[in-house]
Amino acid sequence: MVQDTRLIEIKDVCKSFGDTEVLHHINLYIRKCEFVTLLGPSGCGKTTLLRLLGGFETPTSGQILFDGADVAQVPPYKRRINTVFQKYALFSHLNVYDNIAFGLNLKNPEALGAKSRSEKKEEIRRRVERMLKLVKMEGFEKRSVDSLSGGQQQRIAIARALVNEPEVLLLDEPLGALDLKLRKEMQVELKSMQQQLGITFVYVTHDQEEALTMSDNVAVMNHGRILQIGEPKKIYDEPKSAFVADFIGESNIIPGVMLEDDLVEMLGVKFPCVDEGFGENEPVDVVVRPEDVMIVGTDVGMLTGTVESVIFKGVHYEMMIDIGPMRWKVHSTTMQPAGSRVGLTVVPYNIHIMRKEA
Amino acid sequence: MIRKSRGAARVLKGSYLALVLAFLYLPILVMFALSFNESVSRASWTGFTLDWYVQLFHDQNIINALKVTLEVAVIATAASVVIGTLGAIGMYCMKQGWFNLMAVLSNIPMTMPDMVTGVSLMLMFVFVKVPLGKATMIMAHIAFDIPYVLLSVLPRLQMMNPNIYEAALDLGCKPRQALTKAIVPEIAPGIVTGGLLAFTMSLDDFVISYFTSNTDQNLAMIVYSAARLGVKPTMYALSALMFVCILALLLIVNRRSGLEIL
Amino acid sequence: MKRQWYAAPYALWMLLFTLVPLLFVAYYAFTDGSGGFSTDNILRIFQPGYLPVLLDSLRLSLYCTLICLLIGYPTAYFLASRDFSENKMLVVLILLPMWMNFLLRTYAMMTILENNGLINMLLEKLGLDKVQFIGTEGAVLLGMVYNFLPFMVLPVYTALKKLDARVIEAAEDLGANPLRVITRVIVPQSIPGVISGVTMVFMPAVTTFAITRLLSNGMIYLMGDMIEEFFITVNNRNAGSALSLVMLALVLISTLLLRLVNPDTREGRA
Repeated sequence: MVQDTRLIEIKDVCKSFGDTEVLHHINLYIRKCEFVTLLGPSGCGKTTLLRLLGGFETPTSGQILFDGADVAQVPPYKRRINTVFQKYALFSHLNVYDNIAFGLNLKNPEALGAKSRSEKKEEIRRRVERMLKLVKMEGFEKRSVDSLSGGQQQRIAIARALVNEPEVLLLDEPLGALDLKLRKEMQVELKSMQQQLGITFVYVTHDQEEALTMSDNVAVMNHGRILQIGEPKKIYDEPKSAFVADFIGESNIIPGVMLEDDLVEMLGVKFPCVDEGFGENEPVDVVVRPEDVMIVGTDVGMLTGTVESVIFKGVHYEMMIDIGPMRWKVHSTTMQPAGSRVGLTVVPYNIHIMRKEA
Repeated sequence: MIRKSRGAARVLKGSYLALVLAFLYLPILVMFALSFNESVSRASWTGFTLDWYVQLFHDQNIINALKVTLEVAVIATAASVVIGTLGAIGMYCMKQGWFNLMAVLSNIPMTMPDMVTGVSLMLMFVFVKVPLGKATMIMAHIAFDIPYVLLSVLPRLQMMNPNIYEAALDLGCKPRQALTKAIVPEIAPGIVTGGLLAFTMSLDDFVISYFTSNTDQNLAMIVYSAARLGVKPTMYALSALMFVCILALLLIVNRRSGLEIL
Repeated sequence: MKRQWYAAPYALWMLLFTLVPLLFVAYYAFTDGSGGFSTDNILRIFQPGYLPVLLDSLRLSLYCTLICLLIGYPTAYFLASRDFSENKMLVVLILLPMWMNFLLRTYAMMTILENNGLINMLLEKLGLDKVQFIGTEGAVLLGMVYNFLPFMVLPVYTALKKLDARVIEAAEDLGANPLRVITRVIVPQSIPGVISGVTMVFMPAVTTFAITRLLSNGMIYLMGDMIEEFFITVNNRNAGSALSLVMLALVLISTLLLRLVNPDTREGRA
C-alpha cells in the first residue's frame, strides 16, 4: 500500500509565536498513501505542525516540500490538502448537501470535467452522493447540520474534505468529541476509507491507543520536538526514551547501569538483555512493560516484592508490587492477593534499554 | 389548605401585575382611542373617524418629517451595519488587550446620557461650521447605532467554531471569499438583529436628533414641538402609528434574539 | 492576518463622534464668550440662581428612583416567581416600553392628566371638581416613574431569575418561614439587581427634560430643561456646556458610588 515516494518532506522546520518556540527543528517525511499519526500530549506542537501542513500557519524557518516543491508560503486554498477540523467546523448556514458541495462549487466547471454550468451541477451532485454513500449518510442531504449528532457531523466533515479529492487529508483529533464505542467504530472506518481511497492521512491525536491501531507510522512529539518516528509496534517495543515508553502504553521505568553488552544492572540485580552498543558503566533508563513481568515463586524470582493492590481490568489483573526502592505495575491473568510475597522475573528480550534523556 | 392559599397568592400577584400593566399601557391605549375620536375636544366620544390619519398624510410638515425620519434611519442603519459588522470582525481578530480597550470604547455611548451626547455633537458640528441638518443627524445616529450592531454581531462571532474561516480557506476560498461565503453567512442572524435594533433606535430617537438638527425635523421632533403648543388629535394619530411600528419592530427583534438583548 | 484593521472605521467613528465632542463640551465649559479661560460658568451653577434647579433635579430623581423601586421590586419578584415564570409574553410586555420613545409615552401620559383628559373627565362624570394635574410636581414625578419603571424591573427581574429555586427551598427546609426567606435569602441575593436598577433609573431621571415641559408647561424646571434652554433658546453655549459637564459628572459619580456598594462588582473585579 504505502509507496516509497516521499510526498511531503518537512525539513528543519521551526515555528515561534512571539517569543515562544513551539516547534524546534522538525524533520519528517510522509510517503504516498501512508497513514501517519502525530502523537503527543496537549501543547506538544502536534496541532501546530498539522496547521503548517494545511497552510494555516507559515514556518518561522525551514522548508515544507510537497512533491519536491516548497509550499511553506502557499496559502491553504492553493494546496491539494484538505482538513477535518477539531469539532468539525461545519457551516451551520448550509445543509448537509451544501456543506459537502462547498469546495466543488468554488471550482470552475472544467476542473470537474464539465462543459457547462448544468453539467457542473450534475457532476457535483454525483460526487456528493458518492461521498454520502462512502460515509454512510445517504438520505441526509437536506438536513441542517445542527440537527446531526456528533458522530454524524464527523462523517459530514470527512465527506466535505474528501469530496475535493485531496492528495493528503489532515485530521485534527477528529474523534476527540465522540464516546468510546463510536470512537472505536470510526477508527476502523477511517482506516478502511484511507485504504480504499489510497489517500495519505496525517492524523493528530493524544490517544496512544488510537495512534497504534490506525497508523502505518507514528511520530511521537513532546515540547515541540519529534522524539521518535516509526511503526507502531516498533515504537511500542523499542521506545527510544523514557517519555516515549511512558506515553506509549504503560511501563515501569527504572534507572540502571549498562555493565557491558547484553547485561544491565538495576535495583542491585544484574539482568541479561539484548541491547548492545552502550558504553561500559553507562547510566541508562530501563523500560519494562507491565505485561512483560512474570510472577513466579519468591525462590526463583530475580526480584521479590509485596503485592500492594489488585484491580481487575477485564482481561487481566493490574497489580502494584512494592519491591523496596520502587513500585512496579504488573499485568497478569492470574491474581495474587494483596499482601502476598511474590517473585518477579523478566526475560532478556523484554528489557528495553534507553539512553538517559538530556 | 396549602393549595388554596397558593391559589389566592397567585390571584394577588396576578392582580398586581395587571395593575402595573394597566399603568404602563392605559395611557397609550387612551391615546389610540382618541386618535379615532371625531371630537377635537377629547372631552367626549362623539364617534369613530379616520380623519386624523387622513389629515396626517395631507400635512406637508409631517410628510417631510416622515421622509427625514426614514431617510435618516435607513442611511444610519446601512452605515452602522457595515461599520459595526466590520468592527466586530476586527475586534474578534484582535489581541486581548486591544479587544478590551475597544470594548470600553463601545460602552461609552451606552453609558453617556443622551442629552450630553446630543449637546456635545452639536457643539462639535457648530465649531467646525457644519450646518445642523439631516447630514449631522445621520452622523449622530450612526454613532449611537453602531454599538447595537456590534453587540449583536460580536457574540455570534464568539460562539462560532473558531475554525470556520480556515475551513473555508481549506476548501478553496480565497481570504475575501472565506469572509463573504462563510463568515458573513454564519453571523448573518446577528447582523440582521443588529440592523433591526439600529433601525428601531433611529426611528425612536428624539433627544440626540433634537440637538443635532435644526433645519430638518424627524417625527419625534414634530411631536415635541406640537406638544409644547398643546394637544392636537393629528398628533395622537401620528404617535399611535409610531408606537405600532416601533412595537412591531421590537417584537421582531425580541423573537429573534430572546430576552437577553432587551 | 491584518483583519483587526476592519475595526478601524468603527474606532475612528467612535473617537470622532463620541470622544472628540466631549472635548468640545469641556472647552466651552471652561471658556467665556470671547474664548478666554474661565471657571465662571461652572462656579455659577453652584450659586443661588442655579443651585435650586440642581437640587430640585436631584430631589425629584431620588423620589422617582424610590417610587420605581417600591413598585418595581414586587413586579420583578412576582414575574420571577413560579406562578408566572413560564409566561414569557408577560415579561416582554412589561419590559418593552423601556425601548419605546419616552416622548411619545409622556405625550400619552399627558392626554390622561390634562384638564380635559381621562381622569378629569371621570371626575366630572362623578360630579366631582376637576383637578389641575398639569404643572404640579406630582404630574412630573408620575411621568418620570411611568417612563423609567421598566428600567428598574429588568435588572431586579434578571437577578431574581438567576436566584436558584433550590436556595429558597433550602431556606424553607431549614425552618425559615416565608417572610424570613424573603428578608434573609431573596432580598440580599437581589441587591446587585437593585443597585443596577437604581443606576438605570437615576441616570435618565437626573438628565430628564421634555417630560417636565410636557407635564408642567414649564412650571417645573429641571437641569435638563435648563441645558435645553441654554443651547436652544438663549444660545449660551458656555453656560450650557458647563451644566452638561456637571450633569455628566453627576451621572458618573452616582454610577461609581453605586458600583462601590455593589457586592457583585466589588468581588467580581478581583
